[in-house]
Amino acid sequence: MSDETAASAPSTMNGRFKKPVKVVIDGREITAEAGHPLLQVALDNGIEIPHYCYHPKLSIDGSCRMCQVKIEKAPKLAIACNTPVTDGMVVDTTCDEVAFARKGVMELLLINHPLDCPICDQAGECYLQDYSFGYGSQESRTSSPRRKGLKRHPIGERVIFDQERCILCRRCVRFTKEISKTDELRVFGIGDKSRIGTTSERPLNNDYSINTADICPVGALLSRDFHHKRRVWFLQEHESVCPSCSNGCNVKLGIYNNEIQRMVPRRNDEVNDTWMCDHGRLNYHFAQDETRVRTPLIRDDAHAAPASGNGAGADVKYATTLDAALEAAAEKLRGAVSVHGGGAIGVLGSPHLTNEDLFRLVQLVNALGTPNFDMIVPVGPADDFLIKPEKAANAAGARALGVKPGDGGKDAQAILEGAKSGELRVLLIVGSADAARVLGETGIKDAVAKLDALIVVDANRSPLTDAATIVLPGLVWAEKDGSFTNHAGRVQRVRQAMEPHADLQPEGALFARLAALFARGSAPAAYDAAATLREIAAGVPAFASIGFDTLGSAGLALQEPGAAGAAEAAAPAQA
Amino acid sequence: MAVGVIKIDRVSLKKAGGFMGINAMLKGLTVTGRHFFKNLFGWIVGKPQVFTVMFPEQDIAKPPSFRGMPVLVQMDSGKERCVACGLCEWACPVDCIHIEPGETEDAIERYPKVFDIDMGRCMYCGLCEEACPEEAIVMSSRIEIAAFTRAGTIWHKTDLLTPVDELPRRLDYVRRGYQR
Ligand code: SF4
Ligand code: SF4
Ligand code: SF4
Ligand code: SF4
Ligand code: FES
Repeated sequence: MSDETAASAPSTMNGRFKKPVKVVIDGREITAEAGHPLLQVALDNGIEIPHYCYHPKLSIDGSCRMCQVKIEKAPKLAIACNTPVTDGMVVDTTCDEVAFARKGVMELLLINHPLDCPICDQAGECYLQDYSFGYGSQESRTSSPRRKGLKRHPIGERVIFDQERCILCRRCVRFTKEISKTDELRVFGIGDKSRIGTTSERPLNNDYSINTADICPVGALLSRDFHHKRRVWFLQEHESVCPSCSNGCNVKLGIYNNEIQRMVPRRNDEVNDTWMCDHGRLNYHFAQDETRVRTPLIRDDAHAAPASGNGAGADVKYATTLDAALEAAAEKLRGAVSVHGGGAIGVLGSPHLTNEDLFRLVQLVNALGTPNFDMIVPVGPADDFLIKPEKAANAAGARALGVKPGDGGKDAQAILEGAKSGELRVLLIVGSADAARVLGETGIKDAVAKLDALIVVDANRSPLTDAATIVLPGLVWAEKDGSFTNHAGRVQRVRQAMEPHADLQPEGALFARLAALFARGSAPAAYDAAATLREIAAGVPAFASIGFDTLGSAGLALQEPGAAGAAEAAAPAQA
Repeated sequence: MAVGVIKIDRVSLKKAGGFMGINAMLKGLTVTGRHFFKNLFGWIVGKPQVFTVMFPEQDIAKPPSFRGMPVLVQMDSGKERCVACGLCEWACPVDCIHIEPGETEDAIERYPKVFDIDMGRCMYCGLCEEACPEEAIVMSSRIEIAAFTRAGTIWHKTDLLTPVDELPRRLDYVRRGYQR
């Protein structure tokens, strides 16, 4: 429900500046812009007017009649959602007449509503429940049987529909018409035979379908992924950003028992309004499934002849401590640099890391003295709404921070070729899935056979972590504090929502320690994302004035629009 | 609302108990002594007049208002009534209930995949029973929680399931008590 009040500035109806008017709501004088819906003005000023069908990002329907209020000099109650504020309007939302009207609306809605709350996923964040307590009656005046309807109906692949619970507010219909523009949902029938449905050949399968479950004020539309999974009142909610593409939709993570139970959009009018795509919403399982790498590993045949090193039998790696793995990695890097020079090392960064992690990686690469530094940005299909082609959260941030080849250095493709041809001696890969895909099975075999050491930093297993000489476990975005820069150059905060396993550390800390060990310097100060961002702000002009204290929950744009522009120009080229 | 105050004359301690309460103490000892000898000789002649029973060999019939360990009501079908709504889990003041909800093919849709109560922590307050919208968890007359390990005091769903015919009095009491 918090999504209903404007997060930043109150939403304007058509963007044009309108002259301010004064209205009095419940005795409070409020200044608002002429033409704004009275309901939104009240909500923005902390005055609760119960409502079902109104949604700030959808057209006005006026179908539920719950938002009726008394307006002075008006002949009868008016619906606040479809009444534009005018100068001198005096509104009463608490009088007996209004209370009686609300009670009547509630009674009609509940006549056919099933007693499903105990098995309904919406319970705890259900408008009908809340308003029933707040404005309804405790008694039922009828004992006639309730209308039967479809239960657990798979209205789409990712959405479940319970017809008995639907209150016909038509939010979902307006969503498919106005936002996803796919028009799957309709109201069929008339009068008390009305029901929401799809035509059989077009189920609710658009890329944004689960948003209908968010905006459905009751438990009629539900996300299959979250179905019967966890009571919402047991979830700890953490503000974060979706990691699945460069749009950086603002989200809330629902955590229970240190695991993500669901991801729901969080309103940010600059980025995603109140929506997110289904792919992003469901792409969180990697944070907690069995593919997580949770122990540092050193391959036992690290010094064995590479010819036999690829046999299945020799493919055993040994769990070790983080200290030992870092020390071993530093030794490999030092060895390669002292014998062959910095150019013998290739480093692939990752656009999935936070700005803070990447800043430390750039520092590490500078310390190594290699120009062979790049990243692989995964690309995929996009649309003209939220889904962006770059399937990583922080490609723009990585570019702004200088994750690119140095003078005469190799780019990502050349680095991988160099690893296969034996030109490079040590390869450090951060975030390995994309590199593994580019290399392919034989490519990985060739590279491992030629390299002195393959060091992989990743939070999830991949063919590369399986083949690596040394594996340093990373963290997923939900386990660390930091920031992502989206495709438009907006820096947004991600917050630690889960406790990392054992004593695992964010990648930024690993890179800082690796750099210190490589240079045989003293151990760096304990890694702190906030301090790192302050360092970035001081060192990288685009990030000036950006810090955890200024980002807030809505984020801030990078200083130079150039950085963001370059990012967008680069995206299609890679697609 | 004004509160009425009634003044009661305090019986002075000295008057009631004599010097340092000796009278009261003697009175108490007399009662104890009387029962001791009554029971001692009753035992010998085979007619003990003990109020206590030889637990655990013997037990007493507990009234339906008795709050023993909370148990899960098992329907005739063998399944639990519980739909894993989580209200008891929320109501429990000591957080000793743990439920993992799951989906079933039955019309009821939800069921508890896991339903654990840590009896070592439960304080028999009965709030879980009061919160339950399904009359699925009730306070039983069972009181034996002893176990050799701490894990042993955690009762799982299979331990908690109790056939509905064993609980009619409590269910009736609950219905009356909470005016359902
Ligand atoms: S939609 Fe709301 S009121 Fe209806 S069963 Fe679900 S939680 Fe209860
Ligand atoms: S399914 Fe939900 S959103 Fe759609 S009309 Fe029914 S109550 Fe409204
Ligand atoms: S009786 Fe009280 S303490 Fe015991 S499980 Fe129920 S609510 Fe918790
Ligand atoms: S309150 Fe009742 S139905 Fe709900 S989880 Fe507890 S025992 Fe099950
Ligand atoms: S919110 Fe105004 S009629 Fe529904």
